[in-house]
Amino acid sequence: MDIVVEQRTPATVVHITGSVDGLTADTLMATLQQQIDAGNTRLIGDLSGVSYTSSAGLRALLATVKQARTAGGDFRLAGVLPPVHKVLEMSGFTTILKLYPDVDGAVASYPA
Amino acid sequence: MSAPVASRKRVALVIGAGSVKCAAALGLWKVLKREGIAVDMVVGCSGGSLYAAAMALGYDAEETEAMTLSMWNRDVTKRRDYGSMLGAFLPKLFRFRGHFGMVHGEPLLAALRKGFGDKTFADTVLPLYVVATELATGQQATLAGGKVVDAVRASIAIPYIWEPWEVEGKLMLDGCLSAPLPVDVAIKEGADVILAMGFESPYPRRIRSATSYAFHVNSIYTNNLFRANYSFHNLAHHAEIIPIVPDFGEPVNLFDTHKFGHVIACGARAAEEQLPYLRQLLAEPVAKPSSPGVGSAVR
Repeated sequence: MDIVVEQRTPATVVHITGSVDGLTADTLMATLQQQIDAGNTRLIGDLSGVSYTSSAGLRALLATVKQARTAGGDFRLAGVLPPVHKVLEMSGFTTILKLYPDVDGAVASYPA
Repeated sequence: MSAPVASRKRVALVIGAGSVKCAAALGLWKVLKREGIAVDMVVGCSGGSLYAAAMALGYDAEETEAMTLSMWNRDVTKRRDYGSMLGAFLPKLFRFRGHFGMVHGEPLLAALRKGFGDKTFADTVLPLYVVATELATGQQATLAGGKVVDAVRASIAIPYIWEPWEVEGKLMLDGCLSAPLPVDVAIKEGADVILAMGFESPYPRRIRSATSYAFHVNSIYTNNLFRANYSFHNLAHHAEIIPIVPDFGEPVNLFDTHKFGHVIACGARAAEEQLPYLRQLLAEPVAKPSSPGVGSAVR
């Protein structure tokens, strides 16, 4: 899994490529946690390069959402591909997470 | 005394409700067999219980396909249960028994007997768990003993369609009413890696009969339950749940047995997609247990 962090005022975009699963979830969570600890709580997960997520991946996403919201921000998803969207839907995550077709839309969703 | 450390991860295969779509589990089963990936338990619900039972009894994919083709056809729903319906709709004239089904249960039972005979859970080569729902309490029931036919018959007792079935003195309905994809059973029985093959129920395009209305309403309930349960199980499990979600590319309905080949191929394809990750995951060392034992099977 590759992770690239990009500052796109007023948000921080985390571009993720690969699978979000039991082998990679800890790395992703650590990266996202670093951003929250640094005060970058308006997060966007760019999942346009993610083709798969498992239960461990879902737990990482949920933990990040809770931490970001507790810190006054949010963790929003952009560019979710159909296989991942199906899993998010099956697990009820689409009812609690904000999803956007692309990163630009997700960035615009945060007030400047 | 410290708990013994397992030498490898325990793998469970969970097959949820989904009528003919559940045959996709045979495609997954073929891939696992080919790759030499051992499964430590199988859990089935509703249509999934047919395949879970066949796998646990040691039938191979081809045998199971032939068996389900011979038993799962329109003959099992052709005969109406007029006695049951009269009791339900004219209770003053005909005694109402507290439940009813529009379709007679005898052909279904005969079909199941053709497939499983008098085999019991003691005949299985893999631990088998079949999920049904207690009519009186609504509780999920995990059946792991007695005759396989009884457990499967109870697990597929679709409400309003078939009468509930008595197991261990309790009337049981379709497992779909309490656990459409019973991942929780695998968690409780100590599985580390759970291969979860689940299906949401399709909604008919048009509702043209009482039966299709009953199916539609059932689907609304069970699809919402499916998502709620799956969400909780994902968060509750200590290790990994791998969703195996075949894309059939076309509607697959209750008796589309002519689509078996396609359904099985889709199941195999979905399994192939997860294979690289599954191999990596199983190659990882087993995490040291941090708490004492998990639930054990009552067989």
